[in-house]
Amino acid sequence: MKQESVVKYILRLALTLLLITGVVAAALAGINSITAPKILENQQAKIRAAIQTVLPEANISGEVAFTDATGLVKTVYGSDKGYAVEVAPVGFGGDITMLVGVSHEGKILGVAVVSQTETAGLGAIVAADSQAGQSFRDQFVGLSGTLAVEKDGGEIDSVTGATITSRAVTDGINAALSCVADLEKVG
Amino acid sequence: MEGAYSQALLGILFSAILSENFILVKFYGICPFMGVSKKIDTALGMGMAVTFVMALASAACYGVNLALEALDLQYMQTVVFILVIASIVQVVEMFLKKSVPALYKALGVFLPLITTNCAVLGVALVNVQAGYDFLLSVVNGAAGGLGFTLAIVLFASIRERVEKAECPQAFKGFPIALITAGLMALAFMGFSGMKIF
Amino acid sequence: MKFKDHVKEGLLTKNPVTVQLLGMCSTLAITTSLFNGLGMGLAVTVILICSNVLISALRNFIPSQIRIAAYIVIIAGFVTIVDLILQAYLQELSESLGVFIPLIVVNCMILGRAEAFASKNGVLASALDGLCQGFGYTVALVVVCVIRELLGSGTFGGGILNNGEGIRIIPQGFPAMQMVMPVGGFLALGFVIAGSQWLMRKLEHRKKDKEAVR
Repeated sequence: MKQESVVKYILRLALTLLLITGVVAAALAGINSITAPKILENQQAKIRAAIQTVLPEANISGEVAFTDATGLVKTVYGSDKGYAVEVAPVGFGGDITMLVGVSHEGKILGVAVVSQTETAGLGAIVAADSQAGQSFRDQFVGLSGTLAVEKDGGEIDSVTGATITSRAVTDGINAALSCVADLEKVG
Repeated sequence: MEGAYSQALLGILFSAILSENFILVKFYGICPFMGVSKKIDTALGMGMAVTFVMALASAACYGVNLALEALDLQYMQTVVFILVIASIVQVVEMFLKKSVPALYKALGVFLPLITTNCAVLGVALVNVQAGYDFLLSVVNGAAGGLGFTLAIVLFASIRERVEKAECPQAFKGFPIALITAGLMALAFMGFSGMKIF
Repeated sequence: MKFKDHVKEGLLTKNPVTVQLLGMCSTLAITTSLFNGLGMGLAVTVILICSNVLISALRNFIPSQIRIAAYIVIIAGFVTIVDLILQAYLQELSESLGVFIPLIVVNCMILGRAEAFASKNGVLASALDGLCQGFGYTVALVVVCVIRELLGSGTFGGGILNNGEGIRIIPQGFPAMQMVMPVGGFLALGFVIAGSQWLMRKLEHRKKDKEAVR
């Protein structure tokens, strides 16, 4: 190999790396432009499906402006049957994004978990389609006011071994309930 | 709001070290955990180097992510983060070599290994996903590193003894080490009730 | 090297998980259902083949001083592509593997193969190496998954068979939940590696016995 100056040598290294990075970035931009709309659509479809489960047969009128002191409420969707409130309480392994259907009278119509990162086999049960998950979520239906898990002196049965997750879900539902109560007061 | 914030800060600190220990609960950084845990000294050195790089990387990746978000380039996250981490490791290595030779001697051999430590990239990605602000990110990084150090030093001290013990032929070496780690993970599960919230 | 040797190396004698102990993070973290194991194994195999081929093709172009940085960028690129595609078309898998998909970048196995094999061999051989190593990785993951899922949740094929519920083998309430928790990962992998060490020694003994008879 012939001798080259240090500057030239460093430049050659830097340019090669820059070239590779550039090509990779361009390839990613290309792939992203194909997948981005699909990913967005997936997320929206998931939220729509969740709204359908918490507010069956309701006509969704769109997003509603809301006030919330807890910081847990993300979005509120209005409908003729009530509200679908998107809340994201902090569970054991991160945010649990879920939708809570609340009637105009402040009663819970349904609970659906959109995404969560809880421990598999324990906290993750709250989101599962299994019998245990279903019965955990169903016990909220028809309730109103401020709820608490049994350990805190309330009426909600926690998922075995997942008190923190159960508590987080309950917190999220409380936030949804108080948010709807405020909405009804104003409206 | 101030009280809630410091509570969150403490919560992250404790959970990253104990109940959500990076190695024994979340499985980040298993490769160095198994690879560099034969002696307590080296384990401690590795742990300190990782803690340092993790805190730095959390801070740097927080800034970089702001830039990526502003440019709407979130999909470049993984590529950019790993480059940032690799350069941090390189810079730290050069800096230590020049200005703190004693520390370089102690940590030097571990530094190149850190680039491919999942714990570093893992903490950067988790910080972004969880939406932590600057301080929370850095605390999460440093605490994660401390958790790593705690686990690897404890593990190394157990392993020094296990190496000398008799065990079935097929379990010699890594299998028995993994089972030891499993028992440690079982012990760390006991911390999971200890959540400050 | 012959094709058969490649396969044998990938599966047993140089299996990335049980012998080289590479890519342990994902092996331990996500092996809780068959779906996760297969998905992770396939994702890693695809990325490994792609990165091996590209790195092998560029091996004379990349200066050796910056080769590691270049490999990491290439690998990270492929990982992001797979990540985006999974998010778009296989959302369930992408959610259940979570942060461990981007973390494939630092799976030492991929960088390890790039450095040990692809940077020194031709494109075709590198592709074959990627395929066999990836296959060995997938098999090891699936074995760990099946054990953990059976003992921990009492099912087989979770996420794929029977509408994603898996086929129940042990009645509800009996399985040891700890097996799907972190503890189970360490224990199951420990036993799987012990099993493969035992198997390899047995094969070696048999070979020696045969030679002795001759």
